Amino acid sequence: MRRWIFALFAIVAALTLTAAGAPAARKLRVVATIPDLKALTEAVGGDLVDVDTLSRGTVNAHEMEVRPSMMLKLRKADALVENGLELDMWVDVAVQGANNANVVRGAPGVIDISRGISVLEVPSVRVDRSMGDVHPLGNPHYSLDPGLAPIITQNIVDGLSRVAPEHRTTFEHNRQVFLGQLDQHMAEWTKIMEPVKGSKVVVYHPQWIYFLARFGLLEAGWVEDRPGIPPSPQHLVRLVRKMKDEGVKALIYAPWNDQKLATRVAEEAGAKTVLLAQMVGGVKGADSYISAIDYNVKTLAKALRP
Amino acid sequence: MRVWIITGLLVGLVISATPVGAQEAETLRRELEQMRKQFENAQQQYQKAIETLSERLRRLETRPEPVVAPPAPPPPTTPLAQGLGQGQMAPPSATDILRPRQPFGLYQQRGTGQLLFDMGIAGDFVGNITQPNVDKANAGTFTGRENRFFPREVELALFGQIDPFARGEVRIEAGEETPGPETTVRLAEAHLTLLTLPYGLQLKMGQMRARFGLTNVIHEHDLPFVDRPDVLRVFFGEEGLSEKGAEFTWVPDLPFYLEALAGVFNGDNETAFGRGKLNEPLVTGRLRSFLELSDTSAIQFGASLAHGTTADRLRSTLIGYEIKYKYRPDGWLHPLLTLASEGIYSIRRVEVSDDTAVFEKRTRDRFGWYGHAELQPLRRWAFGARYDSTQYPVNPGWQWAVEPYVSFFPSEFLRFRLAYKHTDRSHRDGFTDNGGSARIMDELLFQASFILGAHPAHPF
Repeated sequence: MRRWIFALFAIVAALTLTAAGAPAARKLRVVATIPDLKALTEAVGGDLVDVDTLSRGTVNAHEMEVRPSMMLKLRKADALVENGLELDMWVDVAVQGANNANVVRGAPGVIDISRGISVLEVPSVRVDRSMGDVHPLGNPHYSLDPGLAPIITQNIVDGLSRVAPEHRTTFEHNRQVFLGQLDQHMAEWTKIMEPVKGSKVVVYHPQWIYFLARFGLLEAGWVEDRPGIPPSPQHLVRLVRKMKDEGVKALIYAPWNDQKLATRVAEEAGAKTVLLAQMVGGVKGADSYISAIDYNVKTLAKALRP
Repeated sequence: MRVWIITGLLVGLVISATPVGAQEAETLRRELEQMRKQFENAQQQYQKAIETLSERLRRLETRPEPVVAPPAPPPPTTPLAQGLGQGQMAPPSATDILRPRQPFGLYQQRGTGQLLFDMGIAGDFVGNITQPNVDKANAGTFTGRENRFFPREVELALFGQIDPFARGEVRIEAGEETPGPETTVRLAEAHLTLLTLPYGLQLKMGQMRARFGLTNVIHEHDLPFVDRPDVLRVFFGEEGLSEKGAEFTWVPDLPFYLEALAGVFNGDNETAFGRGKLNEPLVTGRLRSFLELSDTSAIQFGASLAHGTTADRLRSTLIGYEIKYKYRPDGWLHPLLTLASEGIYSIRRVEVSDDTAVFEKRTRDRFGWYGHAELQPLRRWAFGARYDSTQYPVNPGWQWAVEPYVSFFPSEFLRFRLAYKHTDRSHRDGFTDNGGSARIMDELLFQASFILGAHPAHPF
């Protein structure tokens, strides 16, 4: 028995030494909690970083199940990029199981990209769970607003530079290149959305406010009764009536929302359902940050056009 | 004549100079206009930049200072071949760890009204209805509380970072242990975890639920069924394996997930050990791995070991296996299918005696296990069943049970559960208190659980 234990220990130790003995000239290993942050970190880090993400664009980033595979990714990470504002708090549990000092809270490798964001929907009154799964620090879905990319990417530059200060100039250069590309698209997106500016839309979950505000659209209501709480029949009746009264033409939903319910509500209200990419990878073709925003802009504008 | 020549030259000069002067003025005017526009553009850009920076500064000033190193000034770009690492946090040395630190250093940096840790309350109320003979024998699933509705566990949990190096967690529980108006308050867990040890190591010390198998570490309100599986209650007692001591975990840097654990505890658990001395400690071990079969399904498996001494100073060893599979369709908020099983093999030295004298010491080999399946086709509803089968650790005989249940979740923070449990024991002996009998039991179990405030995310 003892021989078996020693043999097992020796195998594990040998594998560890092999893995740890990687050459010094390696890329910076970064883990991002959500795909948007992966895409933006790749844009800033370029060839100097290897970025992985803990969630996918089709899932609800609020309620991630913490899998040991997340711990495995974090075990090897030099830095962790997190959304903050309580969207990805689950990462704390994964970090605890990763046994990696680089990514524990307070370490220089932990990059919270919400710093400096003008957060929307910050509760101005006392909040509790009777209001649903509210975010006391404000709406955390700001990465859907391409206009906030300069702040987000600046935070990423600052964070990556804490871990690898020798590459700061390169990170800053990559950021400028990316923002230049984004600026070009922004002009196009603004032009596309101009004719539908001021239109009212209903959303399934209150996660689109930054995107809507950027392009001058108005949020007329939510399918969810309260954030995270499935709707009651009474709520849906009121919502349909409101949509009809206010001439709402589109109901926006994400891949993880109940598509059947969204379709039923939209049909009853005489509106169209619009599946948007809540994050990079949320729908087919939304493989990069720019393509995800591009998809959202063009799809929504098409649905809202008379 | 000379005068005329000079005058003519001057006039010629003036005439020829006039268009040049006009051209220069025009050029100057254009340049001036261009400069004015550039100046206005620059002014606008600076104004925007100042506004953005002012807003950023205002927000930064209203936030607590981050506990991070300030960014270094940008040095010249170096080739990638030089590698990384200058800015990475080096693992603390032994002297770093031993150096006295201001324990409440972070407290001074807090914002107005901000707590520096999370707190949550979990309430778990259970009830059961069973036959009178089971009630009389005090041998139901909730021993001594048959045919009652009571708070099993109302837990106050406080958790958060102690400092940049460690995390703390305290759980205080209150619940009914004996029938009546009284509830007992006790310290369920209190431990700290050193998070920044080198080489993938972590140390947890204090009072804790030992990480033995799948469900021992889970508190009652978080269990996927109403009651703790029979095998755990039979081999570790109603509270499970809760001990005082330390656990080391090691997650080696491998291409697959592997967690190795070693623990040293007093061995206070009276059902399995009971010696309660560090010179004859309870030692535990666990190996856990995980395979992600696809984006939608995964499997976790592991083996555990606990070796200690009983109150009679006899050896007791328990070896456990665990396996759990989950299938969560893409985009679903919950798993559609969960399958799990856990088993314990107990090797225990016992004294075999009659009423008068000790005859000899013998080894008892016993085994117990359970299998669990849960189907959650709807967000609010889950249907499941558990099958238990276990021998008794010392006495002869065994029991099996089947427990179908249904769970209803109005929200993430509220859950109701209804279950029926049928238990069949091979012997009446040991379950005949007060003239009752609990060889065969039928129980209706119900549960209401809620969470107030913060609650850590659930692991796989």
